[in-house]
Amino acid sequence: MAASLSSSGCARLMTALARSSVLYNSFESRSLHVTAVCCKNQAARIRIGKGDKPLTYEQAHHPHQIAHRKGWLSQHTSNLKGVEGAAERTVEDVFIRRFMFGTFHGCLANEVVIKRRGNMLVVCALMLQKLPPQKFYFLIGYSESLLSHFYKCPVKLDIQTLRDKAVYKYL
Amino acid sequence: MAAPCRHVGHHIKRNGRFLRINLDQLFASRGLRWTSALQQQGEEVHEESKEPIVIPRKKSWSSEAVLEALASTVHRDPTAYPYQFQDDPYLSPRTSSEFKLFSLSQESGRAAAKYFVSNNPKFFTKDFAEPHIPCLMPESVTLRLEEVSEEALKERITLRKVSAAVEMYDQLLQAGTSVSMETTQELLDLICLYCDKNPVQEGAPEVEDAEEAGEETKRRKPKGRRAADHLRTSWKENNNAERIFNLLPEKDSRCYSALIRGMVKHGAYSKAFSLYTDLLNNRLSADVHTFNALISAVPDVRDKFNERWDLITELLNQMNEQKVRPNLLTFNSVLKALRRCGFLAKTYAPQTLNEMKALGIAPSLATYDHILAVFYKSGSSGPNNTDIIQDMLTELEGTSFTCRDPHDVYFFSSAMRICLDSKDLELGYKVHSLVEVGDNWRLLGDSYQQSVYYGRFFSLLCMMEHIDVVLKWYSRIIPSLYYPNPQGMRDLLQALDTDGRLDLLPTIWKDIKTLGHDNKVDLVEELLSLMAREEHSPEVQESFAACALDVKSVFDGRSSMEWSTSSLSHVTTLLLRANKLQQAWDMLLLFKAKNRVPSEVLLNNFLSVCQSSGAPKRAVELVQLAAAFCLPATPVLAKTALAEFQLTDEQRSILSEFEAAPEKETE
Repeated sequence: MAASLSSSGCARLMTALARSSVLYNSFESRSLHVTAVCCKNQAARIRIGKGDKPLTYEQAHHPHQIAHRKGWLSQHTSNLKGVEGAAERTVEDVFIRRFMFGTFHGCLANEVVIKRRGNMLVVCALMLQKLPPQKFYFLIGYSESLLSHFYKCPVKLDIQTLRDKAVYKYL
Repeated sequence: MAAPCRHVGHHIKRNGRFLRINLDQLFASRGLRWTSALQQQGEEVHEESKEPIVIPRKKSWSSEAVLEALASTVHRDPTAYPYQFQDDPYLSPRTSSEFKLFSLSQESGRAAAKYFVSNNPKFFTKDFAEPHIPCLMPESVTLRLEEVSEEALKERITLRKVSAAVEMYDQLLQAGTSVSMETTQELLDLICLYCDKNPVQEGAPEVEDAEEAGEETKRRKPKGRRAADHLRTSWKENNNAERIFNLLPEKDSRCYSALIRGMVKHGAYSKAFSLYTDLLNNRLSADVHTFNALISAVPDVRDKFNERWDLITELLNQMNEQKVRPNLLTFNSVLKALRRCGFLAKTYAPQTLNEMKALGIAPSLATYDHILAVFYKSGSSGPNNTDIIQDMLTELEGTSFTCRDPHDVYFFSSAMRICLDSKDLELGYKVHSLVEVGDNWRLLGDSYQQSVYYGRFFSLLCMMEHIDVVLKWYSRIIPSLYYPNPQGMRDLLQALDTDGRLDLLPTIWKDIKTLGHDNKVDLVEELLSLMAREEHSPEVQESFAACALDVKSVFDGRSSMEWSTSSLSHVTTLLLRANKLQQAWDMLLLFKAKNRVPSEVLLNNFLSVCQSSGAPKRAVELVQLAAAFCLPATPVLAKTALAEFQLTDEQRSILSEFEAAPEKETE
């Protein structure tokens, strides 16, 4: 808060002076003070730390590695030339990710991958083996049905389970 | 292919004028690849110029022809998990109970989602599907119309709210408004179908009225049987259906039909017949569904076989008089009733079939099932009468069926039962090849019927086939189509024994564990006795010993499983044969812990193994153990030990004590 807005202490003095309109311009004027811009990327980057934080492959690679060492988490054709609906697909993806995170609480081992094939939505997720299989199936049936009714298209879940998160490195 | 064309284009460009003249020469001299075939054909045509060229008619393909052709190249993958489950080893079912549990939990998840969608329709109304998908829109489950009117009544009928509909009807009658005949008929249909109770809503808690007498019986029965109870609803005296029916000014045949069919469905058979006589007295005619229901109720209203048959013939004659044309279900009900007519069935079933043929109605699998039931009584062995089923299967070969009668699903399992009873393997293969035609696997029924069919098929194979073929089938149908029960595993063990492939027993043990049958003590004991019966080659003995240790860990892990003397001795024998002395010694200590006595043979065996591996200390301990059990064989053991082992003086003194044991005991 490096702004130089006047404190309340000299507010009365300020108003008095303003009313007299003598020293209005030369005294402390209301201005915005900003620091120098630090041109630094920080999206989806986990910075190096003490060495005790486990990272998955997905988290360990920065976004500029997409198409080099990483794939895409959401696959649809709306970004091709002449195809519309990219924004709607993005909003749907955000909702689906939050839905999966909340429904399978604490079970997601990695990011959810969303693929659109024809009119079908395939949601692929890696889960931890925290729940017994019948509970998984209850949640799978529930999510598939609810998302199909919500998006008016067939939604399929592809679940793979792991015992623990697959750690790629520690940062 | 592009290059020659380029040459041609180039040539044409250069020598345009001479092109037409030189075209033939060009083709002949250049020998362009894409015309060489034509050239050859041309030559052939010149040689056989007599034969006319027949251009075949253009074939029209369906839009899915390519997909079907691709699909026909792929067969069922026996190693894949059932398709309704996720493709993950943790999430795939390994036993039949897990299969049921997972599929039911998935269904209940879907029901929960449907509950949310129906109860909060405002979030799901935005429709971006083109074309519109009606099944993904929220269903209206709540009533919208509250006023007393016929539309409200119709709405309640479509939403299947039985008690609300009855209430609305009563209110309409009290208010004096007349309800149209059609709506009344629909109301009667609704009440009779659901036997005057609200159908159980998925996911919603059941609200049962306390006044009904049937309630107490329901509460007395244990909770697990509730589903079966609801299936066997009973028609109560003077319930809403009858009351409304009696209040009707003019009753037409459709009302009668609804009542009669409802009564038959819910068990009030004699009432159904009395109502039918009413219908005849009013000179109305019943429709084919009513007749079907009445015929199926015949065995419940008459006790003697000939009386039953007489009533059936009477009904059929009346059907003829009323000019009602019978359908497939009519004949199937006749045959089903004939099943309960004893010896009369064998005479009249063929006649029924002839009638069907005369009317041009093709029989369905249910028809064949009833015929098999009539001619092949279960339990009685008729090894000579497989002619009927043979003829039947030859006629049905290669036919693909659709389900036309709910009873169709029982055909395959009864056919397989007959094959199993008559121990006919060829017949079994014929039945199975019929199952594999097209979509006939759908007619195997629900998972229980399927397991019955495959269980019988597998037992037949184990009984009659060579072990290699049995193992081939084993890998094909287990566990993708069938989870064997302990009896099935026992059949497999017997087959292995008969063909002398006991070396496969450790792999079968692994499968038994996966299937969850390792808690069946008698199955495990049978496995152990088969392994311990004879001596085998050293590698096999090694694998048997490893398997025996595994069995031991299973027994130790489960508190419900009790060791018996035979299983303990088998495990010990197996360990001894593989020269695992330490583990065998642990087993003997286990004998002591479980208060079981080892046999003399076992101890002698142990002693000889000790001798071959040179463990005198063990031998002494063994004799001490034998003495602790107060076995009569102790002095003999002591003597042999003294004679055959290199012992220290201390050990000798201990052993000589035991040599003298019998004298102590006689005292």
